[in-house]
Amino acid sequence: MLKLIYRRLLMMVVMLLGLLAIMFVVANVAPGDPARLAAGPDATRDMVETIRVERGLDKPLPQRFVIYLGSVVTGDLGTSIHTGRAVLHDLAIYFPATLELVLFSIGLAIVLGIPLGVIAAVNHNQLADHIIRIFAVSGVAMPMFWLGLMLQWYLALELNWFPLGGQLDLMSDPPTRITGMLTVDALLTGNFAIFLGAVAHLFLPALSLSFPALASIIRVNRAEMLETLNRDYITNARAQGIGPLRIVAAYALKNALLPTLAMIGLRFGWMLGGTVLVEGVFDWPGVGLYAAKAAISSDFEPIMAVTLVLGASFMLANLLIDLTYAALDPRVRAQV
Amino acid sequence: MRIDWNWLRSAVLGVVLAVTAIAGAGAVEKLDGKLYLVIAGRQPVSTLDPAQKYDYAIRMMEQALYDGLVKYEGNPPEVKPWLAESWEVSDDGLVWTFHLVDNAKFHNGDPVNAEAVRYSFVRTLELNKGPAWMLQDFLAPEGIEAVDDRTVRFTLKKPYAPFLSFLPWWFIVNPAIVEANSVDGDRAQTWLNENAAGSGPFKLAKFEQGKAYWLEVNKDYWKGFPYEADNFGGIIYKLVRESAGQRAALIKGEADIVGGLTPEEMEKIAEREGIHTTTLPALTAFGLKFNTQNEHMSDINVRKAIAHAFDYDGLVKIFNGEAKLQTSPFGDAIKGKIDVAGIPRRDLQMAKDYLAKSAWPDGGFDVEYVYVQGFEEERQMGLLLIDALKDLNIDVKMTPLTWPNMVGRAAEVDTAPDIIAIFATPVSTDPDAVAIQYHPTSFGKYYGSHFLEDEELKGMIEKARNETDWSKRQPIYAEIQERIVELQPEIFGMMRNRRFAFRDWVKGFQDSPIRMTEEIDLYPLHIAK
Repeated sequence: MLKLIYRRLLMMVVMLLGLLAIMFVVANVAPGDPARLAAGPDATRDMVETIRVERGLDKPLPQRFVIYLGSVVTGDLGTSIHTGRAVLHDLAIYFPATLELVLFSIGLAIVLGIPLGVIAAVNHNQLADHIIRIFAVSGVAMPMFWLGLMLQWYLALELNWFPLGGQLDLMSDPPTRITGMLTVDALLTGNFAIFLGAVAHLFLPALSLSFPALASIIRVNRAEMLETLNRDYITNARAQGIGPLRIVAAYALKNALLPTLAMIGLRFGWMLGGTVLVEGVFDWPGVGLYAAKAAISSDFEPIMAVTLVLGASFMLANLLIDLTYAALDPRVRAQV
Repeated sequence: MRIDWNWLRSAVLGVVLAVTAIAGAGAVEKLDGKLYLVIAGRQPVSTLDPAQKYDYAIRMMEQALYDGLVKYEGNPPEVKPWLAESWEVSDDGLVWTFHLVDNAKFHNGDPVNAEAVRYSFVRTLELNKGPAWMLQDFLAPEGIEAVDDRTVRFTLKKPYAPFLSFLPWWFIVNPAIVEANSVDGDRAQTWLNENAAGSGPFKLAKFEQGKAYWLEVNKDYWKGFPYEADNFGGIIYKLVRESAGQRAALIKGEADIVGGLTPEEMEKIAEREGIHTTTLPALTAFGLKFNTQNEHMSDINVRKAIAHAFDYDGLVKIFNGEAKLQTSPFGDAIKGKIDVAGIPRRDLQMAKDYLAKSAWPDGGFDVEYVYVQGFEEERQMGLLLIDALKDLNIDVKMTPLTWPNMVGRAAEVDTAPDIIAIFATPVSTDPDAVAIQYHPTSFGKYYGSHFLEDEELKGMIEKARNETDWSKRQPIYAEIQERIVELQPEIFGMMRNRRFAFRDWVKGFQDSPIRMTEEIDLYPLHIAK
């Protein structure tokens, strides 16, 4: 197992380097002059040049790449044009917010998706199955952005059950920063009121973000459960008089979960990179909005840093999934 | 097989109820018994340093945290005394002397003196960023002198009539604080991104980048306030990035002012109880700029033909009538603006006559129209253009681009498109602020994508800006406006109104057309409740 971890971590470094090189070239050959945008609409050519020199944009591309790589290795991810701060500092603020949103969303998708998949499979071709399948199809088809707006309009504005957006009420003091994730920090500091406030703010964006993943998990889990429930060992278990709940939970679900796990890993990566729309609707101050603002400002260093962090997170998540796979399935363990 | 999920339903319901119980709406934000006014805006404040950059959000915050020698107020906008209680200018227009008020203090209690004014101007000029372009051709750091504690003198390199009109955007920083926070000779640029060193009516209470920016009333403000509201604590500028979110925040009471809603949203929200809306004239002009050096657009008859074929009524309808067609390249609030006779309106016969005189009398060519990706109004303008030019047998290729890519293409004559959708807001009411957009010094800037070269126009613009006597400048600017229309470097479009919606308890809103899109003068704003 340790060998697998070492090999995958080494591969990660190589892949991240490749990702960085591709991003650097793409970002720098794209049209748009970051120095001009940073200087402002009325700036003279001389003022634009001042900023170009200040940010090292006057140097040849290969030289800039070498300088950039050197900086990244020492932990310096550059300075953002649009926030004026060190990118590392920005990421330390925005990434935990996105991670919290994604973890909550994927948690929601798992907690709801797996039982619904099971219910659909157990009630195969009955009313519950049909309703859940329609729900799953609509989840895949429904644009997240639109769903977010609808949830916001109905649950937050009309029913006033949830706040419209943001991470906390404007006048609430955030808990002492430990992880940067408000719900976790509130719990760690024992501030339950802030925890509930943070969860209330988290719920609608997480629900919007989780919907496509929820639908996928339901579909995969239902299909796997159907297949598993028709296996001989399940029939055998039923013949032995084992209760239905035990058959589903202890015998069928464990096997059906393996493909679902792979789906969860993929969805996690997709969610990390796809939060921007939900963050926009709910004013969630995460890396999605940060990267989007950077992109429209031709602010390359934040874009590259975000790509790097999201890429690394995606790879780590998949490594974790593979390890879980190995832990759950002795055949996989034997191949490692 | 049946499984009892009732326990799970109960648990989920319990958690949801507990969470939603604390998610109620508040009418006005309160902190320590004080009322806070919340503005929900879309643009983040990327810096608070008056010498680095400006846009509407930055300018709104800076004007609350800092003071200038003078300030724009009113409609029409007038330059009013502020830190400078009076000033005089020499007969040759070269020497400007300002006399400061004697009671102005920075937030830390230091006096605002002539040396602070000199230091602030020198810092901006030497950093060569933000507003530096406004004065750098006419004012050198050595031309600024603190004569005594309350007198500062500017000696210009050559006369520059609009000098005073740009001063409201040159804010005074506290030299002691700037020097104390300077790192590696950066003159506190990094520190001032998220901190303030001013003397303005508000102090910076909290700067949460990407979320909200908190201003606290400066109780000791040297100029006092134009209202009495002891329970008013300050203003919070909160980021809400979607207009649907802005509207919802206003309805729910999570915001007290929002700007920039679509005309349809404005209509709907005005029907709600406790909310009122306003539409105000602005200086922002919209034009479809031609690249006058491109193959087809270099022919003035083609430009005239397109300008006469365009559907101007359709343009105003895109904004639900909340826009006014331009009658001159200059906006209404620009000094010396005239209504130029013969400014094109839709006249298909005239359009065909012009095209007949061109090198392409039967049309039969394509033009490229570039606009901001995702900007619905600009897309609709492109559709208007397609319809209008069908009658001339000219095809329009619509190219949506992101703003950086648009700016990149507009910067060079070889890449600037045939037609580009441009909103431009002058930062001064002096006619030079608009006229200079048609001078070769503007090539490379997004509004200079016309690449118009005309020696006569260039000469007039230069003559007018160096002339100090308004009675002599005025006729030159009348000629400049006529000449620009004659050369037709663009379809002169419309002046878009500014749109705001408020909760009824918001008081003190004062408009001036000089303000950018969603910029608000925060000084007189407060809550009466």
